[in-house]
Amino acid sequence: MSFAWKAAGISYLKYTQICARAVRNALKEEQRLIAQRRDEQGLKFAKWESGKQGELKPIDSAMGNVSV
Amino acid sequence: RWYATEASASTSGLRLSFVLPHQTIYKGVEVQQVNIAATSGDMGILASHVPSIEQLRPGVVEVIENANATKKFFGEYTNKLGTNYLVSGGFAIINPNSSLDINAVEAFPLEDFSPEAIRANLAEAQRTATSGSSEEERNIAKVEVEVLESLQSALGSK
Repeated sequence: MSFAWKAAGISYLKYTQICARAVRNALKEEQRLIAQRRDEQGLKFAKWESGKQGELKPIDSAMGNVSV
Repeated sequence: RWYATEASASTSGLRLSFVLPHQTIYKGVEVQQVNIAATSGDMGILASHVPSIEQLRPGVVEVIENANATKKFFGEYTNKLGTNYLVSGGFAIINPNSSLDINAVEAFPLEDFSPEAIRANLAEAQRTATSGSSEEERNIAKVEVEVLESLQSALGSK
């Protein structure tokens, strides 16, 4: 079974996150404020080279793109 | 031999566990019927259902707790029989022992949604889907349109 999002190059994980975000943003005010906190990702990463830590970059939850 | 054996007469009903990463909606609760929106089509699950794993579409999961619930509900969005939850996606696993596990990322009763917010977000997503600057942006918007349209029709029909 082929999915439009898979054909477009979106992974299932990203697809699920996009759907979840669309649902959260459609809630009534009060619920939405609580739910939107779940959308934030505090994940950061840094590339190590020759024993030195590179620049610390956050992972953007909106696009979910990680550019190293 | 691995041929299917006749389903044993179940003395218990359908046991539902409906969980999200951050919340448990039902845990091992005996219910009458659960209707799900699977990617393979809409399904109604009763006790002794054929075991299966179904991927859920962004859509409605309806939980009918007991057959005599007809008298209770008078809400704009509550169906006469059951509680409707809009789920953003996930999986439903129907086990051979008449237990049903639904795992979703986000799920809310239909009355928690704001029709104005849906209308506004849908309009914006439709705009981005056609005129977004990058292909990725347009594809993401197309997914959002699909979810919001499903949400809108769930609110409209229930």
